[in-house]
Formats: sequence, C-alpha cells, structure tokens
Amino acid sequence: MSTSSPAVDALARKVRDGGRLSRSEALTLYAEAPTHLLGRLADEVRAARHPSGVVTYIIDRNVNYTNICVAQCNFCAFYRPVGAADGYVLGFEELFRKIDDTIAVGGEQLLLQGGHNPDLPLEWYEDLFRAVKARYPAFRLHALSPPEVIHLSRLGQVEVSVVIERLMAAGLDSIPGGGAEVLVDRVRRELNCLGKATADEWLDVMRHAHRAGLRTTATMMYGTVERLDERVEHLMRVRDLQDETGGFTAFIAWSFQPSHTERGGTEATGVEYLRTLALARLVLDNVDNLQASWVTQGGKVGQLSLSFGANDMGSVMIEENVVRAAGATFCMDELEIVRNIENAGFTPRRRNMHYELLGDPIAWERDVPRMTALVEARAAGDASVPEELVRYRARTPSGKRQRAPR
Amino acid sequence: MSDDALMAELRETLASDGGLDEVQMRLLDSTDLLSLGMLADEARQRRHGQQTTFVRVAEVAVDASALESLGQAREIRVTGVPASVEAAETAVRAVAGQGVPVTGFALHDLMGLASDHAAEFARLLRVLCDAGLVAVSELAVDRTEDPESAVAVVADAGLAVSRLTIQDARGDARLAWVRTVAGWSFPPRAVQAFAPLPRAEGKTAPESEPATGYDDVRQVALSRLLVDNIDSIQVDWALHGPKLAQVALTFGADDIDAVPAVDADELGPRRTSLEDVRRNIRAASFVPVERDGAFESVTP
Ligand code: SF4
Repeated sequence: MSTSSPAVDALARKVRDGGRLSRSEALTLYAEAPTHLLGRLADEVRAARHPSGVVTYIIDRNVNYTNICVAQCNFCAFYRPVGAADGYVLGFEELFRKIDDTIAVGGEQLLLQGGHNPDLPLEWYEDLFRAVKARYPAFRLHALSPPEVIHLSRLGQVEVSVVIERLMAAGLDSIPGGGAEVLVDRVRRELNCLGKATADEWLDVMRHAHRAGLRTTATMMYGTVERLDERVEHLMRVRDLQDETGGFTAFIAWSFQPSHTERGGTEATGVEYLRTLALARLVLDNVDNLQASWVTQGGKVGQLSLSFGANDMGSVMIEENVVRAAGATFCMDELEIVRNIENAGFTPRRRNMHYELLGDPIAWERDVPRMTALVEARAAGDASVPEELVRYRARTPSGKRQRAPR
Repeated sequence: MSDDALMAELRETLASDGGLDEVQMRLLDSTDLLSLGMLADEARQRRHGQQTTFVRVAEVAVDASALESLGQAREIRVTGVPASVEAAETAVRAVAGQGVPVTGFALHDLMGLASDHAAEFARLLRVLCDAGLVAVSELAVDRTEDPESAVAVVADAGLAVSRLTIQDARGDARLAWVRTVAGWSFPPRAVQAFAPLPRAEGKTAPESEPATGYDDVRQVALSRLLVDNIDSIQVDWALHGPKLAQVALTFGADDIDAVPAVDADELGPRRTSLEDVRRNIRAASFVPVERDGAFESVTP
C-alpha cells in the first residue's frame, strides 16, 4: 500500500525493513500516515514479535488501598485530601478477602496502588506484604507505582533504592508503571504532578527496580495538555531506559478520563487511541508486549486494539477504582475477554506479570463466578478504621485523631 | 494469487463500479480487517470525499403532548408506535411548521396501522405527508414485509425513507442482510442511508452474544463495499457511542445519526454534543458537515 506522501512511504519501508524510528520520523508517521497504514504496520510488527497468534490476559485484581493523597494531581478524580470524610484505608482483613475473591476466579496477583497517604509509613506496606506472603505464599504483589515509591522515600527519609530493597524483602514481586502520565516536565507541571515525580525521578525509580531484579511495566496517560512531540518524547524515554535495562515487560497507553476531575475538558477520541497505540508499537521496538486499554476505550475499541499493535488484553476486570471514579464504566470478565480475543482471530492464553503463559482460560476448565458478583463497594457512612492501623504512626492531625484510643 | 494481487483485483473491480462476482464476495468477507477497512475507506472517499455528515435530532414520543425542547435540532423525529392513523397524523401536525424537517415512525408499524392493506397503507402515507412528514425515519429490513416494494410505495406518496436498519441479526445473518439490501433497487433518493449495525441486538434473544468491535466495523466496511444503491452508510452517535461511531467512519461510514439536539448543561461549552461530534469527525481526518432531516446540508 502506498500513500500520497513519499515521506510516509519511506518510513513504512523503513519499519518493514526493521529500522528504528527517530523522534522526527515517529512524529511524521503519527501526523501524516493514514490510520489504516499505521495499524497495518503495527500489526505486522506485532505479528513478527508474536508469530504464534496468542493474545494474553491476566486475572488479577486492581486494588486501591487508600484514596487519601497529598499529591492532588489535577487530572485525578480518585483522591481525597487528608481528613476527608470519605477518605479510606483498606484494612489487612479486607485486602485478604479481596485476595480470596481473586483466587476464586483464578487470579494470582494483586495490582496494588493508592494515594500518597502521609499516615501510612513504609512499615505498614512491609507488614502488609509480609502478611500477604505468609498467608498466600504463591500470590504475587505487583505494587506501588514509582511516585508511591518516591513518596515513601521522602516520608521515611530513605533512599529510593532502600525503599525498593525493603519492599522486595517484604514480598514485592514487580512494580506497575503508573504515575508516568507523560514523561515531560512541562506537561507534569501543568498537571500538577511534577511534585510527586519529575520525569527523571520516575525513570530513576524504574532504573533502580530493574537493577534490583524487578520487572516493571511502563504506561502513558495521554490526551491532556501534551503536544504530539511530547507524546513521542515519552515513548523515546521509555525506549532509552529499556535499551539500558531491559526491565519493562509491557507498555500500556490510556487516554485521560476527564469526568469529575479538576482539569475536566474532553477525552481523546477512539481513533487517536488506536493511532497512539500503533505508534507505540512502532517506536517501542524493544518492548515485547502492548496492552489494550479496554477499560478506557470500551470493549469494542479495546478489541480493535488487537489490529493496531496490542497483543495483550490486560487484566480481567475485578475492580479498578481510579478510572471508575473518572467515569470509565466498561467491564469485561474472563469469558468476555476470551470471546473478544477469539473473535478477533487470536488464541487466548492466561499469563502472569512476567508474561509467562499459564494456560488456557480458567473458564474453559471450571465454572467461575461472574465478575459482577464480586464487585464490592465500601458501605456508605462506614468510617471505621482498620484495627491494625493504630500500630502505625500517623503524621497528620486527622490521622492521629482517627487512631487515638477511644 | 498473492494477497496483494487479490486486493489489487478487488480494488480495481470496486473502483470501476463493476459488480462483484460470488468469489469476490466471499473473498471480501474473508479479507483481514485492516485491508477491508482500507478498501471501504477508498470506496467511501470516492463517493463522499472527506465529508462526514451528522444530524442533531430532537425526538418526540408519538403520544407526547408536545416537544419538550427543540434545542438546536435539524430533525424532529416522532418515535414510538402510533395507536391509530389519527394519532400519527396529530403527532406530526403538532411538531410540523417549525422550519425543521419532521421524520417519524418505523415503516412496519405504519403497515400494521393499515392492517397490511396496500391501498390503506398508501393513503396513510399521503395523510402523513400532508401533515408535514418528510420521511419515514426507519425501515427495519428484518421486520418489514417486502421492503423493496414498500420503499416504492413510500416514494409514491412523496416521502423518503431516512434509513434502512437491521433490528436484530447475528453472525452470518448480519452479512446476509447486507447482501440482500445490495440486491434491491430503489427510486432515486428514496432511501437516504443504510444503518447496518443491528439496533436491538440481544433484546429479542438476550441469551445470544453481543457483537464485538471486529463484527461491527467489518459489517460497516462490507456495507460500504457492497451496498451501491444507497448513498450513505450511517452509524448512530447515541446508540453506538462516540468511540465506535468515530472508528466506523474510518471503515466506510459517512453519516452520524442521532446527535442530541440539547446539550447536558453540566458538561460545559467545551463538551457540547456539537463540538464533540465535530471534534471526533476531525480527529478521524474527515470534514464535518451538519445536515438536516431531509439530508440537506445546513449552512452554519
Ligand atoms: S493520580 Fe495518584 S498521586 Fe495523583 S492525586 Fe490521584 S491518587 Fe494521588
């Protein structure tokens, strides 16, 4: 297929010959290539990297352990300030119940992320991780995105590398790539998230994690204030670190969800998502796996991602509070994900965080409860504090009040 | 023959307006999604260039006493099943004369009112035309007896059919309807659009599986490639949602139906439906053009 642009045709040939795209070339492709050509190129690269036609997914549970956060990013609909009546911290017992539910549907991992809660010291996380591992030795903890690690480092006045070491000793298995937004400080300043982590700081946490032997993912939340060249810059920074460490297992792009956020505005469109995903596949020639973000794009456009470079359907939905708070309401359980993968002509396989294949869909082997039966919400008006919290030092007045003996 | 050669042959036949033979039809059906999308996009651009039309619709129930709000509607659409010929006529008269084309009803409901009696049906259509109706808003091909003849009767009465729809079909039945529609012939401009994505999918047989994104865009693309006798391939903003509707534009659709005429206030000026639909069309690399219920462009 040729286009009316010689530059685009030349870049298509370069991609097909296995060449690496420069910043300006990536930008030209995004700006000028027709959507179907971008998709076709990304699909060819995906097929070359994953010739078996397998599309993977993971059964895990995305748990947000606290919504109290001092970072106050202006694109976030999830956080509550310290002292807010509807702020929460999940207790260990509640987390164990969620793990039980996850295991019941064949899951093997918690994706654990939350706000930057100044009343939760590093010791709380260490004790939680140890408790989980003691009770569920084979269960994996994919936990704490780079800004959370930085927050703990600042809170406890300990080096990032030490935070990572201590969390690993307590049971941390891998680090999710959240909080990257767009790895350009101009953008981060406008999103009021430069304070939680600069682009360099985010990448540095990942560098430490990779050196310490952890695998991590990388993400990009696009569609706020960034220019196209800044989106490309983000991809380049991820690619550079991957060249250095090889520690990223996957890349996940999703669009900013504006509902109920301070920033507001509009959401990037479905076509922009497919183009961005395809570009990521072409630029990130050293990252094996690209996830489809059906949570933000809906099941239909999510499935179409499989023709635009994605080879993974991400996580079977059990719970995801952050994007749900911002208005994303799409749900798919394992049966639905498997049906979408097969319908697109691929073979569905379960995987773990390291993208090792675990086997056929659980739902083919035995009856599992449908997802909706497991979704829980914190009971309205329930302001009780998990009992173990009193053992940890609160730093804020409201945290101290909550934990004072009654 | 290689895949590329097959594609080239298909592309040539489609571009020359030649009919597809049975082998080519089957080939189209088995072609991979992106190749199909490219072919459909080319076919769509030959017909409409970069233009994508959309219409803002104010719906009014046939038994409602008045239109709640006209908003910025370019089409008033009377919905629901009328209890009688008089009820249908009254509903049309109540909203006609406001300078906005009035459409309404599903053709099979009107046939039911006429007890499937041909002369009675033709008379009913003339009554509605006199009352101010410009088009029957929907002809569901899988609910209407002999749709091809029915369209001719509608055209004879001075009305158009806004769109052919499929109510509920899955799997091969969806494509079978596309091929059936492609085989019909209609008077010029008697049918304005074909909306090929099933509308009540799963509602009549809830145990069946809903269509996937692949199913939907393939259906849109095949419709554009096979249905030569209808100018527009339509998707529904409200029913299918902005994301799928927008992606469908790159797979052969050229018209967006059912954009709300009244904006939800709380979304603010940057989130109006008008801005949203225009933004989505532009982001798909097309040029938005607002039209009215008679499929005439509206100058801003
Ligand atoms: S995105 Fe994370 S760090 Fe930012 S405010 Fe929300 S919870 Fe806090």
